[in-house]
Amino acid sequence: MRTTRVAQVVSLTSALASMALAAPLLAADNDGLTLAPGFSATVVQEGLGAGRHLAIAANGDIYLASRDGLVAMRDKDHDGKVDETAKFGDVQGTEVRIYKNWLYASDNVGVYRYPLKKGELAPSGAKQVVVAGFPLERQHADKTFALDPKGTLYVNVGAPSNSCQEKDRQEGSLGKNPCPILEKYGGVWVFDGNKTDQTPENGRRYATGMRNAVALEWDPAQNALYSAIHGRDSIDTLFPALYNAEDNATRQAEEFHKITDGGDYGWPYTFFDTKLGKRVLAPEYGGDAQKTPEAGKYPDPLTAFPAHWAPNDLLFYTGKNFPAKYRDGAFIAFHGSWNRAPEPQAGYKVVFQPMKDGKPSGAYEVFADGFAGEMADNNPRNAKYRPVGLAVGPDGSLYISDSQKGRIWRVSANK
Amino acid sequence: MTLRVQLVAVAALLSAAACATGGDSNPPAPAGVVQPASPAPAPAPAPADTRPPGQRLYAKHCLPCHQADGGGVPNMQPPIVGGTWVKGDSQALALFVMSGGFNSAERKDSANDNVMPEFRQLPDADLAEILSYIRAKFGGGGSAVTAADVAAARSKL
Repeated sequence: MRTTRVAQVVSLTSALASMALAAPLLAADNDGLTLAPGFSATVVQEGLGAGRHLAIAANGDIYLASRDGLVAMRDKDHDGKVDETAKFGDVQGTEVRIYKNWLYASDNVGVYRYPLKKGELAPSGAKQVVVAGFPLERQHADKTFALDPKGTLYVNVGAPSNSCQEKDRQEGSLGKNPCPILEKYGGVWVFDGNKTDQTPENGRRYATGMRNAVALEWDPAQNALYSAIHGRDSIDTLFPALYNAEDNATRQAEEFHKITDGGDYGWPYTFFDTKLGKRVLAPEYGGDAQKTPEAGKYPDPLTAFPAHWAPNDLLFYTGKNFPAKYRDGAFIAFHGSWNRAPEPQAGYKVVFQPMKDGKPSGAYEVFADGFAGEMADNNPRNAKYRPVGLAVGPDGSLYISDSQKGRIWRVSANK
Repeated sequence: MTLRVQLVAVAALLSAAACATGGDSNPPAPAGVVQPASPAPAPAPAPADTRPPGQRLYAKHCLPCHQADGGGVPNMQPPIVGGTWVKGDSQALALFVMSGGFNSAERKDSANDNVMPEFRQLPDADLAEILSYIRAKFGGGGSAVTAADVAAARSKL
């Protein structure tokens, strides 16, 4: 009983301490999110289901991709809340982008576009196929994409595999060498986004060795493609003699790279080990938790983000609302881990990576956090929210979408 | 016991301690604070892993995907809780787990991304402990599975 009372006092004291720390942030509310100093968040829409990426038109109309289909939203009275919502089309997937007068969207097997006509919220025009016919896979199937100013379409074709083992996710199973999956998956394929009715055969493999490059973005300042890539799972359960659960939870970086034509980023043969600070051979390919690949064969990441944080969207800030330090820097939405268990899950936040001349100019900073809430049982199913998509509005505000309940926040710099 | 094995054993205890304390998730970091890329320090080592063998083996082999609550991860791995296999015939369950569920009709219709590996490399006694644990905890108090049940199922592989 005495122990219990002591424990109660201790927990009450720590609760008071955390309340005191949190008080100034609670006062601003921000829908329960914790933001970098000088910013405020408001909810612009909620209840849209399994939201994914979002895009915002020059007139402020918001387009959300979701597992249930595309959603168009408008704030007619400019009070910061959406007051017209329309579902449209038949594309259920992750990516949505605006290029010229077209709304591009993707599902697991193709990229499509709808004409955006002046005054129309939900497009009334017919859907066009830009490229379709990717094989339907279960793992890493979302065809996220980016477009450059010429309309070149860069499509993430994720690898339907963890580490290209003879038997996927089987303890001790070695890697296929060379990995045949890389012929059609595990990289970025490039198409002409201005053309319609293309098939995967019309594309060209632009970059390879990327397990799942969900967060893919063209940086207009550098005129270059970048990606934050989902790293591999389960080094401990697959190779228990080499790695333990804590290693699995922390060592395989989520790698942030500049993606160049012909580049190879090392999956499945290697991963970047955050503990050693260097790239190592994967255990399926002769790795012993120390051995490194041939020097210079694969680039080191620009930033090695913590394991399993799940980078799901990348955005280079070109708006004018935020202070100067954010200009041309990268925001990354981390969906949060499932695969750190039994260790505590992590991620579930939006970070800012300062950039100068296309390279990180300092350590990354947590920009928005607190999405997951208490998350009972350490299970992502119980996360309150999970950040998944990012977009910038015409006024320079940053919009963040959620995949748990379909909430959208708008984050602005305080005046 | 080699040093490597000892290290692994200590690490297993550390992760067991993290699990036993509830594996609290991801407290929000103070705004604007630069997060180091390295993880938070591990909790103090527990004197011994006092968990029953079934729970301990579940944590090692099953929990990374199906999670501590057996609830799975939406769109990634299915829940054990509420499933038919965990409540059904114990030999059929053992066969399902040892063959990775690859050929089950449920697998073909599944909305989940990831496949279950085969667990036939585990000894009968360990599988019996795991299956008894999940039937008790996630299967509404189902009957225990014996090593003989597992051996009988294994003969059908």
